[in-house]
Amino acid sequence: MITFKINDKEVQGEEGQYLIQVAEKYGIEIPTLCHHKALDPAGMCRICTVELFDGRRTKFVTACNYPIWEGMEIKTETEAVHQGRKLIVEMLYARCPEVPLLKKLAQQYKIETPRFKKEDDDCILCGLCVRMCERMGNSAINFTGRGINLRIDTSLGLQSDVCMACGACASVCPTGHITLEKIKKKFTKQNPFMIPSEYEMGLKGRKPVYVPYAQAVPNTPAIDRDVCMHFKTGGCGVCSDICQMDAIDYTMKDEIIELDAGAVILSPGFKPFDPSKFDNYGYANHPNVMTAMEFERILSASGPTSGHLVRMSDHKEPKKIAWFQCVGSRDMNKCDNKYCSSVCCMYALKEAVIAKEHAGDKLDCTIFYMDMRTHGKDFERYYNRAQDQGVRFVRSRVHTVEPLHDSDDLRITYVTDGGKKVDEIFDMIILSIGLEISPEVVDMAKKLGIELTDGNFAKTSTFKPVETSRKGIFVAGAFQGPKDIPQAVVDSSAAAGEAGAILAESRNTITKIPEIVPETNIIGDRPRIGVFICKCGTNIAGVVNVPEVRDYAATLPFVEYYSDNLYSCSQDTQTTMTQIIKANKLNRIVVAACTPKTHEPLFQETLINAGLNKYLFEMTNIRNHASWVHKDAPALATQKAKDLVRMAVAKVALMEPLKETELQVNQVAMVIGGGISGLSSAKTLAQQGYEVHVVEKDSVLGGQANHLYHTYKDENISVELASLIKDVKSNKNICLHLNTTLENVQGFVGNFKSELLDNHKVSKTLEHGVAIIATGARAFKPEEYLYGKDERIITSLDLDKKFLSKDASLKSIGSAVFIQCVGSREPNRPYCSRVCCTHSIDNALELKKINPEMDIFILYRDIRTYGEREYKYQQAREAGIIFIRYDLDHKPEVDIKNGKIFITVTDHVLGRPILIEADLLTLATAIVPNKDEKLANFFKVPLNEDGFFVERHAKLGPSEFATDGVFLCGLAHYPKPIDEAIAHGQAAASRAVTLLAKETVHTSGNVASVNSMACSSCGVCISICPYSAPSFATQGRFEGRAEINPVLCKGCGLCVASCRSGAIHLKGFDTNQIFAQIFAMNEAV
Amino acid sequence: MGNLLEHMGIERDRINFSWISSAEATKFVEVVKEISNKVRALGPNKKLVKDYN
Amino acid sequence: MDEKNIKIVAFLCNWCSYGAADLAGVSRMQYPTDIRVIRIPCTGRLSPKFVLSAFREGADAIWVSG
Repeated sequence: MITFKINDKEVQGEEGQYLIQVAEKYGIEIPTLCHHKALDPAGMCRICTVELFDGRRTKFVTACNYPIWEGMEIKTETEAVHQGRKLIVEMLYARCPEVPLLKKLAQQYKIETPRFKKEDDDCILCGLCVRMCERMGNSAINFTGRGINLRIDTSLGLQSDVCMACGACASVCPTGHITLEKIKKKFTKQNPFMIPSEYEMGLKGRKPVYVPYAQAVPNTPAIDRDVCMHFKTGGCGVCSDICQMDAIDYTMKDEIIELDAGAVILSPGFKPFDPSKFDNYGYANHPNVMTAMEFERILSASGPTSGHLVRMSDHKEPKKIAWFQCVGSRDMNKCDNKYCSSVCCMYALKEAVIAKEHAGDKLDCTIFYMDMRTHGKDFERYYNRAQDQGVRFVRSRVHTVEPLHDSDDLRITYVTDGGKKVDEIFDMIILSIGLEISPEVVDMAKKLGIELTDGNFAKTSTFKPVETSRKGIFVAGAFQGPKDIPQAVVDSSAAAGEAGAILAESRNTITKIPEIVPETNIIGDRPRIGVFICKCGTNIAGVVNVPEVRDYAATLPFVEYYSDNLYSCSQDTQTTMTQIIKANKLNRIVVAACTPKTHEPLFQETLINAGLNKYLFEMTNIRNHASWVHKDAPALATQKAKDLVRMAVAKVALMEPLKETELQVNQVAMVIGGGISGLSSAKTLAQQGYEVHVVEKDSVLGGQANHLYHTYKDENISVELASLIKDVKSNKNICLHLNTTLENVQGFVGNFKSELLDNHKVSKTLEHGVAIIATGARAFKPEEYLYGKDERIITSLDLDKKFLSKDASLKSIGSAVFIQCVGSREPNRPYCSRVCCTHSIDNALELKKINPEMDIFILYRDIRTYGEREYKYQQAREAGIIFIRYDLDHKPEVDIKNGKIFITVTDHVLGRPILIEADLLTLATAIVPNKDEKLANFFKVPLNEDGFFVERHAKLGPSEFATDGVFLCGLAHYPKPIDEAIAHGQAAASRAVTLLAKETVHTSGNVASVNSMACSSCGVCISICPYSAPSFATQGRFEGRAEINPVLCKGCGLCVASCRSGAIHLKGFDTNQIFAQIFAMNEAV
Repeated sequence: MGNLLEHMGIERDRINFSWISSAEATKFVEVVKEISNKVRALGPNKKLVKDYN
Repeated sequence: MDEKNIKIVAFLCNWCSYGAADLAGVSRMQYPTDIRVIRIPCTGRLSPKFVLSAFREGADAIWVSG
């Protein structure tokens, strides 16, 4: 260690360091133009000159390449130093008067016009580029010429083979003399290219060392070996030099790891369709034709335009945007994707609505589509809303996009419904590209020996929706078929449940139990606070002066220990922290680092390992809330960090050890509803080894599936349903309660008590840990289209019954008509029933099988045969089934005249009403929910406007409720076909197992509690709590006063703020703690 | 709350309420800037401050 | 207290705005240094007393965000 003085302040540095490095460490600013920490110093610009006193006399040295020695004295800001720097700046400014950097410096040194003759150069000959190129292992450029002709160039001034166009020289050039354009034109023979950022869909570049995206897990950078210069030349290695943790190892090789697994789940996902092969859309050649995935990035606040809606060619804000649906889907001519990609209608709608939100209502958004497929939960409402907001919908497939010559706009030509040809000009075109399976995944499937469908998706059966053709291999997500997020989440839970079922025996066999450190009792002890300030590499230390904050922390009350860490979250720091806590007998800990949302549990773990209660901890965020967001104001950021640390110290001093209540989870599940979804759920739970009680109000199992004939994959439903019922009945873990209703439910997660009543009015109590709601839905009974007036006018389920009973009368039918959306997508029922299009098409084809001569008409609004159901639609058209579209304002009319059924419908092509005589009219009726408010009340779970249950999260929590321990599946959630209902049942079971398998649940310590002495029994807390945690005590000394169930409490603090008596305390966020933070805010520093 | 404070002589712009989802970082920054500008225009608060003397 | 040194006390909901503040950091968005964040479990936790006390302690403004 070498000790010397800078500006009379004692500083220390390592042997061999240069002066500038030590100055930087102490935050002393020395200007430089030619220094770069990755490169050897060269002393080119001389701006870093400082005054050195060596004990006898002063001299001037350049800080960047002057090695430090013991006892030297440095002055960085004397008048002489300043004058010298000013002269250098003046000369450089004269040489390069247009360079922004020098303009700024000149201003700083108060030089208005240089005394020297102005030139028009932009190179200051700092040599950074030359040194950088050498470091890259190339030396493609160097200084050439002599004296005033000195310049940077390649050998002989020719475009060089040596230059690999890596761009490192341009990245260090301080003046903009070297640009990528110049490298391309002057330096290299190669074609420089941007490394496309995969996350930004290639709209932006990325570096060879990169983190794929900000929220990536793990958030560790990777080196792209294909583009990294080190792997090309052996040079560079800058990242390795800079990394303070020595984490970079260029010799790492790809490894093949062998795992023993009892089950495999495939979830490789999809590849967005690449539309470059369609030259008619001009995607490959025109920047303003982009894919919907690219447009997502444009709309994103973290995207390449920071969420500013502009088009790529000229960064102009667009006035008119068009979406083309079905690009790479439902297309047999140009690509082989015959299926519907299921998600594109909805994402196009969403993008149009968000684009309008960004750019204002005037933005013209037009969606060109074939059928609008908004068959998901609440999607139809979104579609209606988009129409109200002025998104334009045109039912037409656009053939060609033609770029205009005099602008970057695009002209399209399309044919309207009425057959009119229209020309329209748009600023941007978004291609709603489909989902497809990549060739690599197809290869993988071949290797694994699993069967694929025509669309290259993993083949599954309706009754085993997540099982591939090979036993033990399961599938989840878009590889099973194109689907949206909630469906993919359902699948993944289901696949985990099914894999868990075959592995149930080996559960917990390779679990390691951590050693439990006994907790030190600190009650009554004076606070001994330990403060740890994290540098987070340079993430924090690069802006906030960490040593200063650390030293400041030392002055705060009760602080007994303080230190800074390079990375507080690293494993070795955790170990050191544990030792420090023990050695210094610390009893409160503050960590000033990143966000508690991700790292609090980690540090709490450290506290536990050190024998401290994990609530004796406070974390304050000086990274996300200070260094990262105030990088241009280091002094103020440091001040803010100090304030935050002071506030945290004030709060932590008041922390008390909190107890987490441990609660046994009753290992019994109750499934309400014995339909196909509930039964699947029960089966999965039973296979995982849990006792299951199925409560069914009816006398038979199977629910609506009993009325169905076959699936769209031609599987016989009654056979498969019988087999499922047999499995359920023969499983000794399953107890069936038929003809039974639920009368009351008490308790909470892990400990429910339900009262069951059977048809003999015998009531019994069932104790269970979890509940699954699978109460299903029913078919809508229509009042329109003369239903019930004639036995030839029936519903889809009635037709299935005829098929099931092999009704001979079907053979004699000459003409059959189906009317779609009966009771669905109506103003009073604004949702799509999801299954009816496929069902009617399937039944129509069945009729064709019975009598190929039959005339069949399907009257529809939009055909919604999503995914590979689309094949059925194609098959139906090929079979001669006639599809006639109608709209809500012109619904078909049904008449009976002279004993004959007549249907009038306005044909969308001819625009004229046509009359069809039908021997059979089938109404595709809606699926309507049971709207069971009583049940909803029992479990405190919500119903939506339509009467379906509302899940925890529309996308990420489709199989559970916000209420802990209560799960949901099947039609009670939303209309769905059998395969999805079964997967949903399995998923709900799987989610329930995650709770059951824990056997105990820990409540959080951050819960509210009542000081009964102060409670005035006003009941405000009871009425205000969204989780029903408070109640009046029914017995004991404080009968009638409020008490709070810590199990139900989510720690929101609503009751605390509302308590007029100040009787409620929220542990961890108590009133005195928040006051302490407020008081600490403005304490004198 | 705003009325109460106004009654006490504290300007309405000194108390701000907003609703921002955890994904709306841009909105967060906009609101910070907006409040900061409003308060800078008002200058330091003099009302209600604890008097240490 | 000079103009540069104003203090805004921000009571941020742990689940919403606090997350947004974290994300703003991750996205390296820049904003003025005036705010001091107090993390609360939910804006429902906030009592008017906190607001008054913050003013009393010299806050120049309060921001409550859910």
